[in-house]
Formats: sequence, C-alpha cells, structure tokens
Amino acid sequence: MVSDNFLGNYASVVAARSTDKSILKGAQDGGIVTQLFAYALEEGIIDGAIVAGPGDEPWKPVPVVATTVEELLAARGTKYNISPNMQLIKEATRSYGLDKVGIVGTPCQIQALRKGQLYPVGLRDVPDKIALAVGIFCMENFPYQSIVQLVEDHANTKLENVTKMDIGKGKFWVYTGRGASVQLPLKITHKYEQAGCHVCLDYVSNLADVSTGSVGTPDGWSTVFVRTKNGGDIWAKAIAAGCFETKPMDSVKPGLDLVTKLATEKITKNQKTLAERATFGVGKGLRNPYI
Amino acid sequence: MSKVVEISPTTRHEGHSKLVLKVDDAGIIERGDWLSITPVRGVEKLAIGKTMDQVPKIASRVCGICPVAHTIAATEAMEASIGCIIPDDAYLLRVIMQCANRAHSIALHNILSLPDMYLPGTDTKINPFSPEEPVRSVAKRIQRIREISQTIGEIAGGEAVHPSNTRVGGMFVNVSPRAKAKMYDLAKEGLALARDQMEFMIAIFRNYQKRDWAEVGGMKVDIPETLGYHNQGYMATDPIYGSSSLDENPTWDISRFNEVRPWDWYMGEMEVTDDYPDYPVGGTTAKGTKTWPQMEANTGVPLYDGQPVEVGPRARMVTFKNFDEKGTIGQQVARQMEYTDSFYKLIECLDALNTNGKVFVDELPTGDGSLGWAANEAPRGSDVHLARVNNGKVEFFSMLVPTTWNFPTCSRALTGAPWQLAEVIMRGYDPCVSCATHMIVVDEDQRIVAQKLIQ
Ligand SMILES: Cc1cc2nc3c(=O)[nH]c(=O)nc-3n(C[C@H](O)[C@H](O)[C@H](O)COP(=O)(O)OP(=O)(O)OC[C@H]3O[C@@H](n4cnc5c(N)ncnc54)[C@H](O)[C@@H]3O)c2cc1C
Ligand code: SF4
Repeated sequence: MVSDNFLGNYASVVAARSTDKSILKGAQDGGIVTQLFAYALEEGIIDGAIVAGPGDEPWKPVPVVATTVEELLAARGTKYNISPNMQLIKEATRSYGLDKVGIVGTPCQIQALRKGQLYPVGLRDVPDKIALAVGIFCMENFPYQSIVQLVEDHANTKLENVTKMDIGKGKFWVYTGRGASVQLPLKITHKYEQAGCHVCLDYVSNLADVSTGSVGTPDGWSTVFVRTKNGGDIWAKAIAAGCFETKPMDSVKPGLDLVTKLATEKITKNQKTLAERATFGVGKGLRNPYI
Repeated sequence: MSKVVEISPTTRHEGHSKLVLKVDDAGIIERGDWLSITPVRGVEKLAIGKTMDQVPKIASRVCGICPVAHTIAATEAMEASIGCIIPDDAYLLRVIMQCANRAHSIALHNILSLPDMYLPGTDTKINPFSPEEPVRSVAKRIQRIREISQTIGEIAGGEAVHPSNTRVGGMFVNVSPRAKAKMYDLAKEGLALARDQMEFMIAIFRNYQKRDWAEVGGMKVDIPETLGYHNQGYMATDPIYGSSSLDENPTWDISRFNEVRPWDWYMGEMEVTDDYPDYPVGGTTAKGTKTWPQMEANTGVPLYDGQPVEVGPRARMVTFKNFDEKGTIGQQVARQMEYTDSFYKLIECLDALNTNGKVFVDELPTGDGSLGWAANEAPRGSDVHLARVNNGKVEFFSMLVPTTWNFPTCSRALTGAPWQLAEVIMRGYDPCVSCATHMIVVDEDQRIVAQKLIQ
C-alpha cells in the first residue's frame, strides 16, 4: 500500500481503458466509470449506481439511480457543473429498494459518502449498503450559469450543439457536433469557479474504492488508482473478465509525475486559501471545516 | 381503611406516567388513577398558522414508535379539510406503511410485556434479554420481525421513523419494481415469523391466565380472574387502516365525541400512606408524598357518548370480528391476533400496487377553512386528527390519540386488582404516553373545549 501526501493511499495505479467500444464512444476518457459499474451491475456486485444523468437543460446533470446499462451509458461524459449525486444516497435504499449501491462522485462527494458511513446523521440504513464508490479526479467545478457563460459567451457556441467539454493541457475545450472545437485559456475560467472549491484539499478522490481521471495518461486512456480492499477485489475481477486493457503507469506519458504535480498545486494553493480565512477579518476569521 | 400507594414512574411503556392507587387492607385497588406526567409539548397550539405540509411532519414527532399513525392521520385530516382524494397507488403505499408499522409495534410491545409473564410450566419469569433458550430464539424472532417491518416501512414511507414520503395530496414518489419485489419477499418472510410469534405469545398469555399467583418484588400476589376488566365501551374505525370525513360512510362520529379536563375525571389531592421499597425497581413513592392527579395529569380526557372508551387491538376485534374476551389477557391476545392480519393486508396491497401509477393529485386544493378529520387505526387504537385548513395554512388542529382515550378507561380497569399488578394491566394497553401528552385542554370555564373550537 502506497501512502502519498497528495495522491492518498492506494494499492496500485495503472493506465487503463474499457475494452468495450460502445462504452468508449461516449466516455470522457477511458470509460472506466461506466465500464466498472456496468460490470458490477451485471455481476450483481451492485444493483444500481448513482450517476450524473442527463437533465432537461443541455449539459446540466441530474443525479439518477441507474439500474440498467442503458442508463449508465446515457450518463457518460463529464459535465463541468454541479451534480449533487449524494442527494440520492438515501433514496436509493428507499423507494428504489437497492441493497448494494454504487456511486460516482468528485472527491468532495466521496468525502460526504464516507462521512455519512461513519457518522450517519439522518442516514439510517445507508452505511452498510454502499457497495462501490468510484471517485473521479477534480481540480475544480462550476455552477451551471458559469458553463452557460463560458460556452455561449466566451466560446460563442450554443450549449445544445456541444458534444464534449474537457479541461486538459492548460485549456478548457469545447467540441461541437459540427466538428469545430474552441479552446479557452484557463485564466478566463477562473472567475467562474465555484467558490467552495477553493478550500478543497483532495484532487484524486483519496477516499474512493477506485478513483480515476484523465491526467497522466494519453487521450482515450485513464489513470486508475485502486485503493480499498473492496475496490481491489472488484477491479481484479473486472480485469479477469476482460473488461479493461491496462498498461503499467510508468510506461505511459506524461505519467504519474504530472498527476502528483497537479495534486500538489491544487492542495498547496487551497491550503493557502484556508490559512487566509483564519485572518480574513479584522481581529476575526472565517470558519475552517477541517478543524 | 383505604391506603394510597403510588407507582412513579411506571416502566416498560413509552413515555412518562404514574399510577395513584387507593387500595383496601388486602392491597386490592378500590380506585386507581393512571395519568400522564410527561411534559406537554403543545403540538396542536404550535401548529396554528403553519402550512398544511409541515404540520403532519411535526405531528409525526409526537411519537417515534407510531409516527406512521400521526403522519397519516394528520396528512389525511388536511386532505379531508381541503377536500382532496389521493390516487389509489398513494393510498396503497400508505396502507403498506400502516401494516408494517403495526407489525413492528406489536413486536416491540412483546419485549415490554414478556418480563411480566412466566415460562409455561415453571415459576420463572421471562427475561427477553436472556442468552438462554427458548427465550433467545424468541428475542431473535422479534428482532427480525421488527427489522422486516421497519425495512418495508422505510421503502414505502421513505423512513421507518418519521416517514418522509407522505405529503398532503398523496406521496412524493412511487416505488421501483425492485423495491416492490423486496417488500414482497420481506413480507412473505415476516408472515411466517409473525404466525409463529403470535402462537408463542398467545400460549404465554394463556399460561398466565391459568396461574393463581404472580411474584412481584418478593411479594406473592393472587391473580384475579377478572384482571383488567372494565365496563366502558369500545371505539374503533376500521380493522386495519382508518376512516375520514371524506368517506361516503365515515366510521367515526364527531357528534358523539367531547372532551373534558382531567379535573372532571381524576382524583383530588391526597397523601401517599404506604410504601414498598422492594417494588421493582427502586420501590414505590415514599410515604407522606403529596399527590394530586387532577392537577398533575397532562392529558385531556376524550369521551365518546359521554364515557371513556377503550381503543386498540381489542376494540378493533370487538367491533369488527365479534371478539368478546375481556380483561388484560384478552387484550393481549387480541393484539397478537393482529400480527398475521398486518402481513396479509400488506401482501394484498403489494399485489394491487402499480409501480407506474401516479401517487400525487393533479391539482391540490388549498382549503377554505372547512373542518375535516381523519382517523387512523394506530397500533394502539384510533388516532383521530381534526383540522381546518385555509389557503394552505392550518387554522385549527387537534389530535385525539389512542393512549389519551385509554388513560381514563384503563384507570377504571384497575379496580379489583392487587396494586402490584396495576402495571400489568396498564401494559395491556401498550401505552404511549408521549402520544397521549402532545397537548392539554386548558379552559377554566368551558368543559367541552375541543367541541367548542370545532363548531
Ligand atoms: C467537475 C469535474 C472536474 C474534473 N477535473 C478533472 C481534472 O482536473 N483532472 C482529471 O484528470 N480529471 C478530472 N475530471 C474527471 C474526468 O473528467 C472524467 O470524469 C473521468 O476521467 C472519468 O472518465 P471515464 O471515461 O472513466 O468516465 P465515463 O465513463 O465517461 O463516466 C463519467 C462518470 O462521471 C459522472 N459525472 C459526470 N459529470 C459529473 C459531475 N459533475 N459530478 C459527478 N459525477 C459526474 C457521469 O455520470 C459518469 O458516470 C473531472 C470531472 C468533473 C466532473
Ligand atoms: S474541487 Fe473539490 S469541492 Fe470542488 S467539486 Fe472538485 S472535489 Fe468538490
């Protein structure tokens, strides 16, 4: 078990992608999240997963409890705005009747999940029903209005024409159905970030069973950390079942160094913001949730 | 010469109450008062001015054992006031919650009653926490029945304690086919366990009925054949669910109801003249203590046809199934008989439930201040809520809960029993004193307070 200050505890890290072409087609990166849930669903490891499904407005996610592969497929791809997936954590065990719940979330959502499992305030009968928590990497998130503004005003594209958004290589990328792509420098996006993200000290979903993101591996591939015993068991079974193609992390570019670099940047920057909150006022400060 | 003995607090029931007993030289109760000394929370007063949606959620918090009853009765009182008929599948989900909660509540009460009872053929009282057989298996069965019931309640109602799914106008969500299948499997398992548990409990109570004596705190007391008999009437609105003023033929009659103050019903100021330090656990109230039931009782006294009545499982069995056994054991037996009925009804509702059916009305009226009422047959009996809703806000709210009905009735049923068995009689009612004490009737001049408000 590796214990890293910036990347958390993990048993192994690999470059991977789904072997299922139909999953890869609409996936953000290597289709890890969708493939892992699809496998777990078919094997009865989970009986449903909370994912960010499509909503009424373009690119505005709505949390759904997916109990079929079709519903999982419909939720592929990153939506760069808030999807309150934890909202359904209790309901999944109620009117949906699930016993083994899967959930995907950003690092903060996985933190909420773990906190709920250890300190279940108002979460009766939830803690023991969490069967698989997949975390995604996250540098920051945006309110929906920010995305509207970034896409429609800065990138000059109608949101409904957008087929994919991506943050990578120092830019915010917007791809359209007609083949165009627009790139915005990240300095434009900064003021649109969700303010609460500036005190976040987790980049690679340290508390998930398995966490995954795009950074570190080539396009179409994902970086995957296998963290818990539960995550390890499911990952090993999925590999044995031929769900994933993998490569050692040190055989791919840019590799783990870049993940570490970005994680370090996020955490040190946000630690500074946190420290500043202590002396925000004159003779008084703002709350620090970590103490 | 009469003596006065007081048991305070009483135990193995919900809430806080006491027994003030006038007994003869042989220790036989001549007149007993069983009264709530639970602090009044005044839900009915604080409901005024709040929205029709929040009041049932507050009313639920009156009691965590039967929150389903208060949630449903309060919600349906609002619906009765605004004239709102909910969709069929919402109704079915409510009945499912109702049945699940009843089964859990009976099972919980088994745990509270068993320590008064004997292992058949022995002089050993039952300790439900004993690791020894046969008690261990029974305790496990009880826990499994409760787990099953609470899980079903949680699926249909959103939450087992304080259901979140109900709303004025129906339910927030229907359940998934998987959830329905899960409830069905659980109900099937529950039915088998409930049948075994019912038979076991009835055998235990019948055994007690055959006994001549019971031991209480080292005292050997005779068990009278008429333990817990009374001559009050019964009141019940339905074998399982309830009734409301929206029904074509409502089964509760508001014109037969009135309510008086404890002052009119309970005994006056007295002094405790006898004490028993060995009464388990911690002895009875010390000699010389002043006691004043009229002043101390924290409930109103609801009357039906001018008399206190008994509500609960036996009242339902008497009203709907020609059950005729009186007394404490009859009451306990009737309660056990509701075990399997709960699961049968639950399964029937699951069969009828369409998981694609709508569970909320298309249009929700907001009310014009008309009076509506709804009775829910809570585990402990008829729980009648009355409301006036005007423009979405509650103008008047009143809760006539089962244990409030039973307080004066049970007090009468104490007469003729050795004082040491007063708690056994009381437990036959499965008292829920928090339920009973959600309010107080305070009106110095008007005796019939609630009715005055209703006119
Ligand atoms: C706000 C945000 C910021 C991110 N920042 C980074 C980053 O800095 N570096 C990096 O390497 N990776 C980042 N990612 C992760 C990356 O974009 C991919 O989500 C991840 O690699 C999974 O890809 P996949 O092909 O395995 O998943 P897919 O198979 O495409 O599935 C993605 C899953 O994520 C869920 N999802 C989509 N949007 C959200 C959301 N807003 N909230 C919660 N769940 C959602 C979907 O429902 C789906 O189940 C970020 C993701 C988000 C949502
Ligand atoms: S940056 Fe942190 S707080 Fe913001 S969405 Fe990502 S994980 Fe959550």
